[in-house]
Amino acid sequence: MSKTVLMELSDALADAAEQAGRSTVLVNARRRMPASGILFAADLVLTAEHVLEKNEDISVVEAEGTEIPVKIAGRDAGTDIAVLKLDRPIGTVAEATKSPARLGQIALVLARPSRDGIEASLGTVSSIGGPVQTGRGGMLERYIRTDSILYPGFSGGPLVAADGTILGMNTSGLSNGPAITIPADIAWNIAGILAQHGQIKRGYLGIRSQTVDLPSASQEALKRKQDTGLLVMSVENNSPASKGGMIVGDILVAIAGNPVLHHDELFARLNGDVVGKSTPLEVLRGGQPQTLNIVVGER
Amino acid sequence: MTFNGTFTQVIHELVQQVMPSLVVVRGHRYGAGSGIVWDANGLILTNNHVVGRRMPIVLLQDDREYESKLVARDPNVDLALLSIDATDLTPLKPASASPRVGEMVFALGHPWGQRNTVTRGIVSALLTVQNRRGDKLPIVRSDAPLAPGNSGGPLVNASGEVAGINAMIVGGDQSVSIASAVAVDFVKKALAQNTSANKKAYATPNDVI
Repeated sequence: MSKTVLMELSDALADAAEQAGRSTVLVNARRRMPASGILFAADLVLTAEHVLEKNEDISVVEAEGTEIPVKIAGRDAGTDIAVLKLDRPIGTVAEATKSPARLGQIALVLARPSRDGIEASLGTVSSIGGPVQTGRGGMLERYIRTDSILYPGFSGGPLVAADGTILGMNTSGLSNGPAITIPADIAWNIAGILAQHGQIKRGYLGIRSQTVDLPSASQEALKRKQDTGLLVMSVENNSPASKGGMIVGDILVAIAGNPVLHHDELFARLNGDVVGKSTPLEVLRGGQPQTLNIVVGER
Repeated sequence: MTFNGTFTQVIHELVQQVMPSLVVVRGHRYGAGSGIVWDANGLILTNNHVVGRRMPIVLLQDDREYESKLVARDPNVDLALLSIDATDLTPLKPASASPRVGEMVFALGHPWGQRNTVTRGIVSALLTVQNRRGDKLPIVRSDAPLAPGNSGGPLVNASGEVAGINAMIVGGDQSVSIASAVAVDFVKKALAQNTSANKKAYATPNDVI
């Protein structure tokens, strides 16, 4: 019998689950239900920070069923990402997607909440949003939502595209409502920093600000269309902002070349990449654009 | 628009192909369940909990109604085999291979008494549960929504073969089916024990079991 398109899709989904399942591990770090994790390097597992309820006696169970003790290499509650270090390299490393999630594409939520094997549910990428403040003090430039069923223990597991590559890490820890998926590029990036430094640095300027509309004259002076900026209401003494020459009344409109319309964009850019570095901040002073080079502090 | 409906056409054809094998089983004080035509000569497979105490009534897709005989039942696997006095029925085949996590499945049945309903999902997990006797029962969990009345109906794969017998709803989101291998085994044993009763009706067709 020749294969119908339905059988081909069915096979492709099962193949995708199998492929991504090889790099999906069980994470034993809390008393109740185990959670899931993604083997993103030969000896490093990416998982959700909120599932790590203990600091010791943590282990992962890989696809073949071998239990391996791990240590926490780094964790960031703000983005709900943690990295576990295995005592030796194992298994098949997960492959992050090269084409970011698209609205409407089908995707598998994969988990390994028990030794019985992987678990999967199928859904659609139903929204892609961000930047957003996570409610745990962190910031995500983008996030993905799907309409799939989330079985207990899915947190830390991958969202898998039909080709078996990984679109992101699923977690229920960042929102009180439905779960979200942290896109793979962001998760991999944060996990890489965590593996190296153990924590995420957050930038600090030392200002209080408020979103204000930009008059058309200011937008013309900026030579771009930008409806809002951040009016600086106060500058702390001896803060990075005051040392860099920022004064009350400046309207912050860009950081490192990225327009700042609201606080969210500013927080998103004040990450580990800029901490301790001289960073160009564009402000409107007296209606005219001006660039201040500010060495961003660490919070 | 270039989309020509090939995909939905295939799903439609699959459902059309499977639907004649879906029956209604009325055998309980509380509403009806579903059943599967298991061979052309009147063997109907359903859940034990659908059968209840009375002799169940089996309603075919063409609205013919039969009082059935109970061939076998086993609460430990929650399966029951019924026999009706009919021939030339359209049976379903059990899946030739074990289901894979991720493969597409369709659940057919009569949830909440709504006749001939189809829900779509994938195989979510291949698990074992302990039955009352303490035995391990292989089950197929899917994300296809099930509701009371789906019990006894088929979970079919993309080829229209039976991947599981829809059995129970554990909690809100968990749809559970009994692995078809369990059903094949159950029917085989049931027929072996019933050789004296009605040999003709219970003859074992090789291609089905």
